[in-house]
Amino acid sequence: MDEELDNWFAREVLSHEPALVRYLARIWPRHHEVHDLRQEIYIRVYEAALRSRPQNPKSFLFTTARHLMVDRVRRERVVSIEATADLDALNVLVDEISPEHHTSARQDLRRLADAFDMLPVKCRDVVWMRKVEELSQREVAARIGITEGAVEKRITKGIRLLAELYYGGDADDIGGATAAARTETEHGKQNAD
Amino acid sequence: MESRTQIEETAARWVARRDRKDLSQADEQELAAWLQASIAHRVAFIRLDSMWREANRLKALGAGVGVGVVPAPGEWQRSPFLGKKAPQGRPVTVQTASGKPRNRPVVRLRVLAASVLVGAIAVGTAWMMKSAGPAYQTHVGSIEGVTLADGSRVLLNTDSKIRVEISATERRIQLNRGEAFFDVAKDPTRPFVVVAGEQRVVAVGTKFSVRRFEHRSDEVQVVVTEGRVRMEPPTSAVKLPPVTVAAGNIARGSGAGVLLDAQPERPVDEYLTWRTGFLMFRATPLAEAAAEFNRYNATKIVIDDAAVGAVRIGGNFRSDNVEVFVRLVERSFPVRVERHGERIVLTAN
Repeated sequence: MDEELDNWFAREVLSHEPALVRYLARIWPRHHEVHDLRQEIYIRVYEAALRSRPQNPKSFLFTTARHLMVDRVRRERVVSIEATADLDALNVLVDEISPEHHTSARQDLRRLADAFDMLPVKCRDVVWMRKVEELSQREVAARIGITEGAVEKRITKGIRLLAELYYGGDADDIGGATAAARTETEHGKQNAD
Repeated sequence: MESRTQIEETAARWVARRDRKDLSQADEQELAAWLQASIAHRVAFIRLDSMWREANRLKALGAGVGVGVVPAPGEWQRSPFLGKKAPQGRPVTVQTASGKPRNRPVVRLRVLAASVLVGAIAVGTAWMMKSAGPAYQTHVGSIEGVTLADGSRVLLNTDSKIRVEISATERRIQLNRGEAFFDVAKDPTRPFVVVAGEQRVVAVGTKFSVRRFEHRSDEVQVVVTEGRVRMEPPTSAVKLPPVTVAAGNIARGSGAGVLLDAQPERPVDEYLTWRTGFLMFRATPLAEAAAEFNRYNATKIVIDDAAVGAVRIGGNFRSDNVEVFVRLVERSFPVRVERHGERIVLTAN
């Protein structure tokens, strides 16, 4: 257990997740695999960082992403020619296509708030009480009259969905190699709990 | 083997369980063992744990909301931390000829753009005849950088033209056509003025882009990435105050006024990906995406069918790679592609 390494990973690697997912979605034709790729890339980066931390975490992250995709393309031979050609063309441009987005704290908060708004309503209520009103899970349970186990469950779901929406974005939403269609109603719909 | 979703589910459950702040020693040990078991577990846990900590910032949304009330989606946007939100989800201010700022969705601009002051065209032409400075232009598909005499740098986008006139009191750039990004050398004694049609955009030391539109000749889009600029409306009959556009803002000026979007839905850099040869779309109507590609390529995409044009697409593409773009669209949507020389016609299939 290396807390310092974990903090480094959250700060220097995870912070690039939106750019990383965009990058993957743009090149990788099978969208449903983007988050699996993302996870595999994190594993590779973390493993490397256990040995020694890369000097430039961001470019290391994207280089790892590219290597992984190239490996897959070679192994599977199923990716379309366009995607492969594009992959080669991008070799020197990784930094340029994932420019640092100088988002303000306010823009980050807005994205967080937008992600929060997309949570299913039961989940959303619990996250609000826990994070905004700062009630404990026990107090939340008492407030709405459900068990603590049920509160924990909703929080579990809330955490996963927030990460999807805020950090990674939904690969379909971001689009890319397979140009995702999207309508506003689809985007804003509330899932049932 | 455990799937990613299984791992994330377990990781989220651990974060939620730990959030109860009553983990027993046995629980702690179980968590530690799970984290030790594989790096896949560990990275998933770090990711979701930092998300949950990031969610502490939601507290800012509670300002002004009564205890025990969970506001409906969007309601918290009254929070002073976020400013007001326009009905379409984008905060905009329209300055009208009457001088009264009003909240209006972005579509409003299309109406404003229609009003052209005919008299101003004559003024513009007269000015151009006077100017004697060097001119720079790019062809369709090329992007060129120029360093000016004062040290400022200009990046000219596809099919664009500027004329430069630097005097002791003013640095004046006439944007005749297209779009340019300016990285302005600091010089408080000589304001840096970009004149685009009737619109004057004034900067001291800053980075911003100015774009004109082929079919909406009085319209100007300004994107500021650093510092701030001042947009001075035309010196027409009605006197409008100048509008300050800060870093992170996008403004559109037309004969009728300036529309300021202080919190664009995308970071401003995404409007400027052309600088590295890319176009970025996010839920962009196909018609709009095609028009963007057409700026950069001799081969033009033509969409005759409104339903096809309304399909929304996302992704990043090389601006010169119209073929890849069309193939992807063809593959992903029920769209038929026909090639007629330099025209690629898209119709519903």
